Amino acid sequence: MTAPTPYPQIVLDHFRAPRHRGTLAACTHAADGANPLCGDALRIELRCVDGRIEALAFSGEACAIATATASMLGELVLHRDGADIGALGARFARLLESGDEDAGLGPLNALRPLQQYPARRKCALLPWATLCAALAGAPHATTEPDSA
Amino acid sequence: MNALHDPAPPLDVERIRADFPLLARTVHDKPLVYLDNANTAQKPAAVIEAVDRFYRETNANVARAVHQLGEEATAAYEASRDKLARFLNAPSRDEIVLTSGTTQAINLVAYSYALPRLQPGDEILVTTMEHHANIVPWQIVCGRTGAKLKVAPISERGELIVDKFVAALTPSVKLAAVAHVSNVLGTINPIAELARAARQRGIPLLVDGSQAAPHLPIDLKALGCDFYALTGHKLFGPTGTGALWARKDILREMPPFLGGGEMIREVRFEGTTFADPPHRFEAGTPNIAGFVGLGAALDYVEALGRERIVEREQALLEHATAALKAVPGLRIVGEAAHKAAVISFLVEGAHAHDLATLLDHEGIAVRSGHHCAHPLMQFYGVPATLRASLAFYNTHEEIDRFVAALVKVRQFLL
Repeated sequence: MTAPTPYPQIVLDHFRAPRHRGTLAACTHAADGANPLCGDALRIELRCVDGRIEALAFSGEACAIATATASMLGELVLHRDGADIGALGARFARLLESGDEDAGLGPLNALRPLQQYPARRKCALLPWATLCAALAGAPHATTEPDSA
Repeated sequence: MNALHDPAPPLDVERIRADFPLLARTVHDKPLVYLDNANTAQKPAAVIEAVDRFYRETNANVARAVHQLGEEATAAYEASRDKLARFLNAPSRDEIVLTSGTTQAINLVAYSYALPRLQPGDEILVTTMEHHANIVPWQIVCGRTGAKLKVAPISERGELIVDKFVAALTPSVKLAAVAHVSNVLGTINPIAELARAARQRGIPLLVDGSQAAPHLPIDLKALGCDFYALTGHKLFGPTGTGALWARKDILREMPPFLGGGEMIREVRFEGTTFADPPHRFEAGTPNIAGFVGLGAALDYVEALGRERIVEREQALLEHATAALKAVPGLRIVGEAAHKAAVISFLVEGAHAHDLATLLDHEGIAVRSGHHCAHPLMQFYGVPATLRASLAFYNTHEEIDRFVAALVKVRQFLL
């Protein structure tokens, strides 16, 4: 049996036409995520009001999986409380590891085939780590171990 | 089955492929097309069987036991040293130090040869195209001694600029270290010419032969370098095997790198007398079975004939280069006039890892990433490339399948 690729149509759509791509005129939080071994580099900017994410934009160059994840992530977290994001990120990491559906993660379920591609999970996790870093006030994020 | 005693070219590829059991497998329900040979090569049955037979029939430690098994194991291990000496046309078998691979070989030179000699202000010359294994050990010893790393540049085509390399061989340079063949670009460097220039200035030259030994005839007497490092697993042998060749007079001056058994003559608590090279540098029990396997790999490659391997791989390289150039948006990185069968490339708009994952799904194994050559990636201003690296067992049909799959996955992604 051939496993499905981690590039279902919805991932390709978000890669080709990413939502929330750009920068924010006035952001309250920002972080740069980079996986230098891969060559992925994403910046996430947020505008939070009373702890809620009211605007989000990402920029940078990354692979299709990281780009699509950032795009879908924007859809998922907009208007949510920043305090809830860490727990959502942990659920997403579990989804990648188990391949099990998590209805609360919406379109990000499209990345479940990454269960079969452990080497590519760090690509999908980079936007999450970057978002969490921005909310925590940390300037940088990576999902790679120290460069060899 | 090593079925190649017919002296007449060309190589019978179907018979060769039958010698490599792994090539028959499928990946994601597709026949495997293995194009990651610069990363590690597949092993012929002769190698697998030699390792298996060693453990079943001969296993014992080397150079210690007086019993029959010990004698046989020592003879088998030392026979691989002889084979390596012949394979490289080394002046003497005693100049072959068996190591775990190229990395250990280069580190041995860094710690045992360079470290005691370097002074603040001295320099070690490398090139832009080096693998991390031929950069980082030098950086470490430079850091400890106050010496500096100096980098000889390459051209946009991926060729070493020889004039600049030679001009960089100033009196402050105490050692130069160069890849014979670039693992990313495939460039074959003019080692004999570089060695001549270094020798005229009294500067020893180390050659990283990891990518050359599997694909080119190596003649150390003709090359004229001072150190040559290679690894067994890219040479169709087991992982954890490799060698450093160095001139006898240089090896004699080098203190031991690791201490332990096997490398001593006499140990007293007041002091120890060390064995002569090469055993001085082979502390502890070596990868005996691995070297027996490497011996079988060398026999296999020599039976094929390295001139015939070059001829076949050059034909494959030419075919693959032409086919890849027809892919829309594709750019080959590294277009040296003298190349081994390694092709790095970029596809506009597509990340290397996405293409590699999708190609894997088509049964095609290529490498994506920085190929342990960050400075070279920085030179080209790219984070990563895709790399197809060929071996004599690859076929024109496999290259056609690879290129067709690349066109397909590019279209799918973009």
